[in-house]
Amino acid sequence: MTRRWRWLIVAAGSAALVALPLAVRLLPVGHSAITAAGLLARVQASAGVQYSGYAESSGGLALPVTNRFNSINDLFGDRTQLRVWWRAADDWRVDAVNLAGETDLRRDLSGVWSWNYESNTAARTQQDTVPIVRLPRADDLVPATLARRLLSHADPVRATRLPDARIAGHDTAGLRLRTGDARSTIDHIDVWALPSSGLPVRVKIYGRGDTKPVLATTLLDLSTSAPKASETAFTPAAGAKVRYGQDEDIVAAVDQFGRSHPPAQLAGLSRRPLEVGSVGVYGQGVTLLVAVPLPPRLARTVAGQLSGTPGSSAVGGGVSVGVGPLNLFLSGEGIDDARWLLAGTVTAATLTAAAAQLPPADGFR
Amino acid sequence: MIAVELRKLARRPRTWATLLMLDLLPTTVAVLLAVTHLGPRPGQGPAFLSAVLSNGTLFSVAALAIVLPLFLPVAVAVIAGDSIAGEAQAGTLRYLLTRPVARSRLLVAKLVSVLVFVLVAVVLVAGTGFVVGKLLLGGQPLTASTAVTSVSGSTLTPVQVALRTLLAIGYVALSMIGVAAMALLLSTFTDSPLSATLGALAFLIGSSLLLTLDAARGLAPYLPTRYWLSFIDLFRDPILWRNVERGVLLQLVYVAVLLGAAWANFSSKDITS
Repeated sequence: MTRRWRWLIVAAGSAALVALPLAVRLLPVGHSAITAAGLLARVQASAGVQYSGYAESSGGLALPVTNRFNSINDLFGDRTQLRVWWRAADDWRVDAVNLAGETDLRRDLSGVWSWNYESNTAARTQQDTVPIVRLPRADDLVPATLARRLLSHADPVRATRLPDARIAGHDTAGLRLRTGDARSTIDHIDVWALPSSGLPVRVKIYGRGDTKPVLATTLLDLSTSAPKASETAFTPAAGAKVRYGQDEDIVAAVDQFGRSHPPAQLAGLSRRPLEVGSVGVYGQGVTLLVAVPLPPRLARTVAGQLSGTPGSSAVGGGVSVGVGPLNLFLSGEGIDDARWLLAGTVTAATLTAAAAQLPPADGFR
Repeated sequence: MIAVELRKLARRPRTWATLLMLDLLPTTVAVLLAVTHLGPRPGQGPAFLSAVLSNGTLFSVAALAIVLPLFLPVAVAVIAGDSIAGEAQAGTLRYLLTRPVARSRLLVAKLVSVLVFVLVAVVLVAGTGFVVGKLLLGGQPLTASTAVTSVSGSTLTPVQVALRTLLAIGYVALSMIGVAAMALLLSTFTDSPLSATLGALAFLIGSSLLLTLDAARGLAPYLPTRYWLSFIDLFRDPILWRNVERGVLLQLVYVAVLLGAAWANFSSKDITS
C-alpha cells in the first residue's frame, strides 16, 4: 500500500466519523398538522404529562446586582444543566448539575426537599411554609415549566406556527407568540412542543430588536415514559446535615417579614391574586414587573452597584439601569432608608411610572 | 516485540519517577486535608474534596480529579511523545527497523507500551488515593453515619462505590489514551521527543482554553478535553450517562483518527536517524 492510499484511508475514515452526527441532524422531520391555537392549548394543559430528561439553558443577561442575588446571575447569565423527572405538578425532581456537585429540588405532596452536595445539606420546607413569592430557581428554567408559565395567559390570536423540528430525538411542533403589550420589552417567545401531548421541549425568549434569544432552554434528552416514584422520592443520606425551614431567599424573607404594602395595580398592571406580602408581582406571561422593598443595608449595596453600572441614569431620585430586555429601578430612600427595587421585562418608562405609584418603602417587622 | 517495549518501559527510571510524582500531589493534598480539615469552598477546588473530609473512601476518585487536568496528561504526553521520537533522537530507530519487523508492528508495540503506562498510572493514582484516603481521612468502619453519600444525596453501598470507581478509572484511562494518541502521532513526525510532548500539550491547552469561551460554544462538544471530568457523573444517582457516553465516543474517534494518521505517516516515513 502506498503512502497516498494510507492517507486516503485515514482521511476517508475521519470524514465519515465527522459526517455521521451531521447526517443524523439532516434526517427529515415529521410534519404536524396541529394549529397554533391547538398547540397552545395543549401546552397550557401539559402539567400532567409525565417525562424525564436532561435540559440545558443558557442566558445572556449580566445583571449588575450581586451579593444576595448571585443565584439569579448564574441562572440568567450562564449555562445551567438540569436533570428532570416529572410525575405530576406536585411530584417532581429537578437536579441542577455541575462539575463540582449538584443542587437538587424534590417536590412531594407535603413539601419540598432541597439538597446541596457541596455543603452536604438537605433542607425540608413543608407545604404550608413554601414561599408564595421567591427568587427564580433552577427548576423555573425547565422548558416545560417555563413555557407553561410564559404561555399561561397567552391570547391564541397572537400565536403562529413555526416549522417543525427534531429535538432530543422527537418530532416537535413550533409555536411563536408575539407580545401585544407596548409596555413589554420582550418581542416574542418561541416554543417547540410534542404535538401529541403538548409537552414543551424548547423555549427561546427574544427581546425587542434581538436576533439572538436572551434566554434559551432545551431538553436535549427526553423520555416520555413515566418516571418511577423512587426517582423523585428523597431520603437524606445518613451522613448528610438536615435542617428544616425555608431556604435562604431574600425575596421570600422580605415578602414574609416586610412592612411595605404594594398596591393592587402598578403602571396599569394588576398584582397577582393570592399575593398579600410585601413583594408585589405584577403582570402576566412575559410582561412582568416585580417590586421588592429592600432593607436599608441591602438597599445601600444595590444602590452602589446600580450607580456604578455603565449606562445607569438618575431618574426621579432613583437609579435606572437596563440590561437587555430587563430593566431595573431603585427608588429614593423611604422609611428608615429602605428602598423599592423594581425589576421587570417592561420599559424603563413603565418602571419609573410604577415607582411613582408606590408608597414609601418600609423595613422589616 | 511488545515484551521488549514493556521491559524497556519498566527499566527506565523516568517511568518510575513520573509515577512517583503523579502520586505525590494527591498524597500531599490528603495530608493537608487531614491536618487542617479545611475543604474547598463550594464551587471551588477539585470534585469530591469536601466529601472526603468526612469519609476518605472517595479520595481515590478525588485523586483522579486532582491530577486529571494537568499532571496526568503531562505524564502521558511525556511517555508517548518519547515513544518514536526518542528512538529517532537516540539514533536507534534506524537499527530497530533493520530487523525483519514491519513498521506497523513496531508502532503497535510502542502503542501497547504507552497504553500499559496509562493504565498503570491511572490505577496507581486511584489505588494510592484509596489507601491514603482510608489511612488519613476515613479509616473508620462503614456505618450508617460514615456511608458514602452520592452527589445526588442518596446513600451508595460499598459495592456501588467500588463499581463506580472502577468505571471512573476506565473512563479516565480512556481519556488519557486520547492524549497518548496525539503525542504518538506527533512523535512519528519529529525526531524531538520534547516537540512531540509540547505539541500534544499545546493541543490540550488550546482545547481547555476554547472551552472557557462563549464564542467557541459550538465547538465544545468536539474538543478533546470537553468530557474529561464527566466521570463525576458516575457518582450521581441515578448515573448521568449522557456526558460519559459522549466522552467515550469522542475519545474513541480521536484515538482512531490520530492512531490512523500515526500509522499512515510512520509506515512510509523516511527514517534518517
